Amino acid sequence: MPHFALTAIGEDQPGIVSAVTEPLARLGCNLEDSSSCILRGHFAVMLILAAPAGLEAAGIAAEISRYTDPLGVIVTVRPLREEAVTASAAPSHLLSVYGADRPGIVHGVTQLLFDRGINITELNTRLVGRAQAPVYAMLMELALPAGTGSAELEADLRELAGRLAVDVSLRPLDAEAL
Amino acid sequence: MVREVLVYPAPGLKAVAAPLSAIDGVAAGLAADMIDTLRSFPGCVGLAAPQIGVALRAVVFDLSGHRKARSCHGLVVLFNPELVLAEGSEVMREGCLSLPDLTANVRRATDIVVRGLSRDGEEIVIHADAFEARVILHEMDHLDGYLFLDRVASLKHDLFQRKVYR
Repeated sequence: MPHFALTAIGEDQPGIVSAVTEPLARLGCNLEDSSSCILRGHFAVMLILAAPAGLEAAGIAAEISRYTDPLGVIVTVRPLREEAVTASAAPSHLLSVYGADRPGIVHGVTQLLFDRGINITELNTRLVGRAQAPVYAMLMELALPAGTGSAELEADLRELAGRLAVDVSLRPLDAEAL
Repeated sequence: MVREVLVYPAPGLKAVAAPLSAIDGVAAGLAADMIDTLRSFPGCVGLAAPQIGVALRAVVFDLSGHRKARSCHGLVVLFNPELVLAEGSEVMREGCLSLPDLTANVRRATDIVVRGLSRDGEEIVIHADAFEARVILHEMDHLDGYLFLDRVASLKHDLFQRKVYR
């Protein structure tokens, strides 16, 4: 069965997931993986679905829109290349970056990572602290390519952190064994 | 006296604190202020001197009556604490007065032995486990400029407390 990646985003309210999945169920699509989050009253969900042969992304999206348009929810559907379905690299490290909020922290750090071929597999940021002194906290999981030394990366990150006036720490990802 | 608790990015929170050279009147005053400040926050179970702007190696903790505690030594002030032994490991959620609005899952040892000097200047050895061990390790991290954001275990668990936006 062909796979598709679906995203839906809109102001949080009851009924978004049910509106997205009702037409999917009728079309005979199978939901495989999903993840959602709410940030400041906006709800976003990403679904990986397997669709019966013959269905196309545009057709699926059009069908769902009939249910989600009244909710003000925007839906996108795109086909997955089958070879990409399981291709994501496993994260190996966790990077914390935090400091007084200022423009350019995320870009500065992610550009450094990109320049070294490092993939971000998960990103979480929060703006916290007092209104007069907001603090930006960013945590990300990284997949370091084989041969990328974490000590060298950490040294580069520290040098950048000094220029951005933020604090960083990099450590191997906790391998949960239960 | 209740002191103001520094909130990140106050620079003192990322510095390495110095050992106390003597357990004297200054140390006694510091201990009293740390206890007063700890007591002024409901639910606060531990505090380190750098959090009130004093760059000295002193921690205070009190797990009395805490439902998550197993070992409990009551109110303890520890100067120049050193970790002697750390065993086991467990992931649990932590917060910090110096990083308001945030919590995260942090892996810490579950059984520790620490030694340090009491308010009387005598060496004390404390064997702590479970939540008391976590609190002591969290406070000792402050003495080396580490915050719990430097210790987050993994993003796979619910990472942050949901902030209430008004």
